[in-house]
Amino acid sequence: MENYELLLSGITLVPIMGVVVLLIWRNATKKQAAAIGILSETFALIVPLVLLSVLRKQDQVVFSLPWIRNMGISFRLSLNWLSLVFLMTEILVTLAAMIYSLGEKTGEKHSNYYYALLLLFSLGMSGTTLADDAFLFYIFWELMLVASVLLLLVWGHGEKRFGVALKYFIVTHLGSLMVLVCLITLYVNFGTADMTEWMTQAVMLPGTLQAFLIAFFLIGFSVKMAIFPLHIWLPDAHTVAPMPVTIILAAAMLSMGTYGILRFPFALFPLENLQPFAIWMMIAGLISEVYGALMALAEKDIKRIIAFSSVSQMGYILFGMGTLTLRGMEGAVMHVVYHAIVKALLFMVVGIIVNITGKRDIQEIGGLGFKYPALCVSAAIGVLGISGMPPLGIFNSEWMIFAGGFDSGISIALTVMTLIGSLFTVIYALRFFGGIFFGEKKHADLPEKAPLALVVPTLAVTAFLIIEGLIPGPLLQWAMQGLTSIIGGLN
Amino acid sequence: MAGTIEIIIPAIILMAGAFMVYMSARLLGLNNKAEAILTIMVLLAALISLVLNFNDLSDLINNPDVYYGSYEPGAVLLVPSAVGVFIMIVSVIVSILVTLYSGEYLARDTRYLVYYPLILLLQAGLFGMFLSNNLFHLFLLTELTTIAASALIAFRFKQEIAIKAGFKYLIMSSLGTMMMLLGIYFFYRSTGDMHLTEILALPDRFTRIAAACFLLGFSLKAGVFPLHTWVADVYGNAPSAISGLLAGVFSKSMLFILPVICLRLGMTKSELGMYLMIFACFNMLIGSIRMLGQSQLRRFFSFSTIAQTGYLMFSLGIGFYFGLERAFSASLFLFLVIAIMKSLAFLASGVYQFHFGTQDIEKLRGAGHRSQLIGLCLSIALAGLAGIPLLAGFTGKWLVFSAALATGDLFAFVCLMIFLLATVIGLAGYLPVIVKQYLRDDAGAVSHPVSLSWWMAAPVTLLSLLVVVIGLYPEPWLNLVNFVVAWMVI
Repeated sequence: MENYELLLSGITLVPIMGVVVLLIWRNATKKQAAAIGILSETFALIVPLVLLSVLRKQDQVVFSLPWIRNMGISFRLSLNWLSLVFLMTEILVTLAAMIYSLGEKTGEKHSNYYYALLLLFSLGMSGTTLADDAFLFYIFWELMLVASVLLLLVWGHGEKRFGVALKYFIVTHLGSLMVLVCLITLYVNFGTADMTEWMTQAVMLPGTLQAFLIAFFLIGFSVKMAIFPLHIWLPDAHTVAPMPVTIILAAAMLSMGTYGILRFPFALFPLENLQPFAIWMMIAGLISEVYGALMALAEKDIKRIIAFSSVSQMGYILFGMGTLTLRGMEGAVMHVVYHAIVKALLFMVVGIIVNITGKRDIQEIGGLGFKYPALCVSAAIGVLGISGMPPLGIFNSEWMIFAGGFDSGISIALTVMTLIGSLFTVIYALRFFGGIFFGEKKHADLPEKAPLALVVPTLAVTAFLIIEGLIPGPLLQWAMQGLTSIIGGLN
Repeated sequence: MAGTIEIIIPAIILMAGAFMVYMSARLLGLNNKAEAILTIMVLLAALISLVLNFNDLSDLINNPDVYYGSYEPGAVLLVPSAVGVFIMIVSVIVSILVTLYSGEYLARDTRYLVYYPLILLLQAGLFGMFLSNNLFHLFLLTELTTIAASALIAFRFKQEIAIKAGFKYLIMSSLGTMMMLLGIYFFYRSTGDMHLTEILALPDRFTRIAAACFLLGFSLKAGVFPLHTWVADVYGNAPSAISGLLAGVFSKSMLFILPVICLRLGMTKSELGMYLMIFACFNMLIGSIRMLGQSQLRRFFSFSTIAQTGYLMFSLGIGFYFGLERAFSASLFLFLVIAIMKSLAFLASGVYQFHFGTQDIEKLRGAGHRSQLIGLCLSIALAGLAGIPLLAGFTGKWLVFSAALATGDLFAFVCLMIFLLATVIGLAGYLPVIVKQYLRDDAGAVSHPVSLSWWMAAPVTLLSLLVVVIGLYPEPWLNLVNFVVAWMVI
């Protein structure tokens, strides 16, 4: 086994070691626990960067260990260009959230468990993106859910959190079970859980079975993506979760649904079999987009406004994938990344506002702009970003998604409607921004400065958003290489 | 009497051990712990003889020379089966852990003298049921287990509720054995013999009626809908150790005797498979739905037992209806996993009962903080039953799913959807219980940590470890199960 293959396993093994250390070190202070968490995540971030040179040579790095031989299951991880994009996004978001946690009150008690669970949550996501074995994929997929539910249960806000956590668990688990049915159907048909093997054999499945699997996969993953009407778990879970967890949920976990759709139905089956579903994906995307934006417009709770904006943004992504064109899908992948950055930024801003004012109702907040100019600028960039203002990232991805829509020739009208629907995004974003930073001052005694641990990651993410928007080249290239190597039949 | 005596040595050890344990405890005035240790030694001896005598199953199966007794009409005839040996090994291991646990659990009871011999008799009866090829002896042995089990259930006879539970079990089980007796009558009327060694060459309507009678009888003992009504009352009120043993192993093992008898009596595989699949759906749904509103921990687990019986029936049903070998491996694996998780669940909840004197889930708020080990173990049991990945329950679920989907049949798929629905409903039952253990009392009561004795801690920890180990590395267990299935004669 080559050294770099071992290195790949480090992305999962080092966080596991971090978790073990945290579980043993029971009286770690919050800073010590955070240090371990951040160290393991940083390692997980460096590994893919180191592997970039290998990846340029061979397009894929695989680590494989036999596990349950008599069931045809192995511990198989594979890094390719597509998983690289998702992996980096997820790890960066987790890192930002971990640093952000230091400035929050969350996790003061039992800090070691808090950071261990954050690590497990992140491990679930990185494992999901790397897994090349269906059994392993599902284990990481559920780990993601279990870790986030525990975080919500223990550190969530208010007595409502038990009901919310249960709803979140059950609704998303229903989606996971649909995915599980598909995975096991494929596993039974091919006699192995090796996903690379599946990619060569799936074409030979009968057409009706393919259609059935595509439908189930799409619905199952749409639950995780929170596409209307399967989004019902999202607003409450995002509101009740502590802010760092909300950041990971919204910015990173939602995109796992996108990855699943690209990795399974899109990668396994020929595009012409997906064709009948394209229009439905576009319609669902459009409805989600408009519904999320309208709900964000109607909400008063600033955390819920941003939560509903996720429903809306996931709509764009589904729409982009539904176009079934390289451009649309590339746009969708890039939108995942940009949305992660913008969403992390906006939730961080919300977190700081809640931290300094102690309020979440937009009607009780106002006129913060002059007191906190740096925060105001960050929020402005976030708001402009989500509205699709050039040169900030989302402009690029939306451009490609709409271009894909026009390219696909499925329905020009739908694309035009989606384009017009994006106006609602601008409206709720501006209302959010204006309501908080302008208008009359409604607060008497505000602290002079927000906690440094909150401000630093916020500013860093803001800077990152601008850089990503200005230099989209590498990301675009990775996404394109990833998509063309995984999805057959793309021009 | 002739044949290989080795095959009945485990039964002899168990039977003789029962008397020996009782007499020595009585005459020497042994205390509870000493008697428990003595019982464990007997069970260990039985386990060793089981493993030694049946270590090469290939020698033993389909070999006309391996039997004990005589083929003359009416004579004792004991023929071993691979599945029976496997189930007995699981059952004896669980019994050892239950006995160890009882060493502390019965500390406040005075009537421990008869308790351990009854466990041994129950095991001997179960082993005999798997061996006996004479229907009348099968009936007698079933009665033996019924009586032993109901005495154990009503063990705390000063509590009215325990008497009620024992009585209910006795009545219901006797009803089941009566049905078997009726079946024996029809069988005797048709063939003039009591021996049932292989599938009848010419089944007539009488033997088919007999098959139906046995089907009902065993279904009742296994707690199959609509004959499940006794399950919650009995397991909910019996001593936890006994509930663990009966719900985890004993009643589930009936599902593996049932097909042997019914198929031999002329029921076709598709009839049996269809019966199992249809009623599995009812069991799964009713078990998981009724589980939701329960306030008593053990009653909650009793309803989940009904659902698990359904899961087992479902995979067995697929196996018979579609003739799928992987479904049989799935059901045997599931049996193993459920036996471990269910006994763990009951034993852990028994620790709460022992230390906090309550089974009320609401009153057990914060119990997980007072006894962190038990809190963790019970959480593992619950998460395992809910089928969370990396625990044994998930691997079982994966195997059953793959068996069901491998059929490619619409009906199996519909049943699978019901299975899925049941697991989701079950999740809504299991998760709140895990959470409530860790909720602090609102009253701010001082919570003292309890000190656990290792008699209770050891078996519970061991079972939890098994749940995790089987989940992480199921390969050797699967090999074992596949080996048994390869030699399964049904």
